[in-house]
Amino acid sequence: MVYLDNAATTGHKPEGVIRAVNFALKNYSSNPGRGTYGVSQASAEMIYNCRAKIKRLFNCSSEDRVVFTNNCTEAANFVIKGVDIGRNHVIASSLEHNAVARPLRTIEKSGAQVEFAEVIFDDDGATVRSFERLIRPNTRLVICTHASNVTGHILPIKEIGEMCFKNNIPFAVDAAQTAGVVPIDMQKMHIDYLCVAPHKGLYSPMGVGILIAEKDLPKTVIEGGTGTESANIEQPLDFPERMESGTVNVPAIAGVSAGIDFINRVGLEKIYAYELMLAQRFYKRLKDIPGIKIYTPYPKALATVPTISFNFEGALSSDVAVFLSERNIAVRSGLHCSPMAHKRIGTLDDGTVRVCFSYFNTEYDVEIILRVLRSYKRLLKN
Amino acid sequence: MVNLRKYLIATGTVTYAMKAKNILIKKGYKVRAEKTRSNYKSNGCGYGVVVWCNDIASVEELLSGFGVKILGIEEIANGLS
Repeated sequence: MVYLDNAATTGHKPEGVIRAVNFALKNYSSNPGRGTYGVSQASAEMIYNCRAKIKRLFNCSSEDRVVFTNNCTEAANFVIKGVDIGRNHVIASSLEHNAVARPLRTIEKSGAQVEFAEVIFDDDGATVRSFERLIRPNTRLVICTHASNVTGHILPIKEIGEMCFKNNIPFAVDAAQTAGVVPIDMQKMHIDYLCVAPHKGLYSPMGVGILIAEKDLPKTVIEGGTGTESANIEQPLDFPERMESGTVNVPAIAGVSAGIDFINRVGLEKIYAYELMLAQRFYKRLKDIPGIKIYTPYPKALATVPTISFNFEGALSSDVAVFLSERNIAVRSGLHCSPMAHKRIGTLDDGTVRVCFSYFNTEYDVEIILRVLRSYKRLLKN
Repeated sequence: MVNLRKYLIATGTVTYAMKAKNILIKKGYKVRAEKTRSNYKSNGCGYGVVVWCNDIASVEELLSGFGVKILGIEEIANGLS
């Protein structure tokens, strides 16, 4: 199969990740940090070491600010509902995934004031000014996707972070599409909350997410057993346990750890450069197919992730995806859980066909999908 | 050989205990993380590190400097020589 749905989850996991998950199932099957026995301690140690690797990868302040969640959506919910916005104001971008847009809608129904800043595709300065114009004295949070999962545009996170820092507003970033793909430095970018989907750019299994919270969260979404302060009926305040009620996904966390090892071994810059090269190669030849409309700019370093959205004139995106699927090529069609981004690019009715490359794709994969798309075009003509 | 005293440093959480253990190992201390008895400084289940040293005040200062929350310190019997 030619797997090109890597924006949803990386389809090919490194061998080291598979081995680490297998090893964890055999050797760390215990409740980490709850027991006095060796396996529980070893499991806790492995998890701590993973937190330390995450700290280094994203340059956050401390290992204990790294929280394991069930997925990136849960991490975004923890931030949006945990900051305690109440009836105050929150700003998000016009390209948010439903992982952010829906919890925002929920708090809006409880009285929060939610506004969306327009992203200007070819002008980062104008995008930052869009955010700045919306700031009010009662703005309690700015939350922003790092890159659109539809168009692949990277937003000017560092500049938005600086703006938030100057205005003393907590800044949250949904890094589902970028963590492990492009460099993220939480301290330089003034990011207070980073939400990560490790099963994408960190090559881990699904069922684990990461929230790095530099600032505390007054409210919790889930409460329960943390293995600490057990005689206290109140949820503990100490991070990360405050946000980690219940048993964490130990095998998946072992996979995160091995995924980061893979990135460190190969080099994030090398992985990104290779993925961009594939995206550029695809883009150059895709645009020459008559009737194709592309919604992504030409892929460029630090301007886009290796994701390209397009449509065939006169064809439904789902029909194109089915045609490709029947020829063993995996892409994604429809709205990609991001109706806001589709509204922004004018594709809300039918969505787009989305292709996303990973380090495990090849130039041959690019040739195959282009060949099949050309044959689809010929079929449309007839 | 120097006689070292043995201390339990209660950190409350396993994450702080692991953090303390890593910091102290890097500084050359003999240390282990362990679950503490349930009523020790932690309002129920808790974690801590056992460290062998003669300069517990320096150890406390070092850990606090790295943001490790310390709930309490007690000397325990059976020091190591």
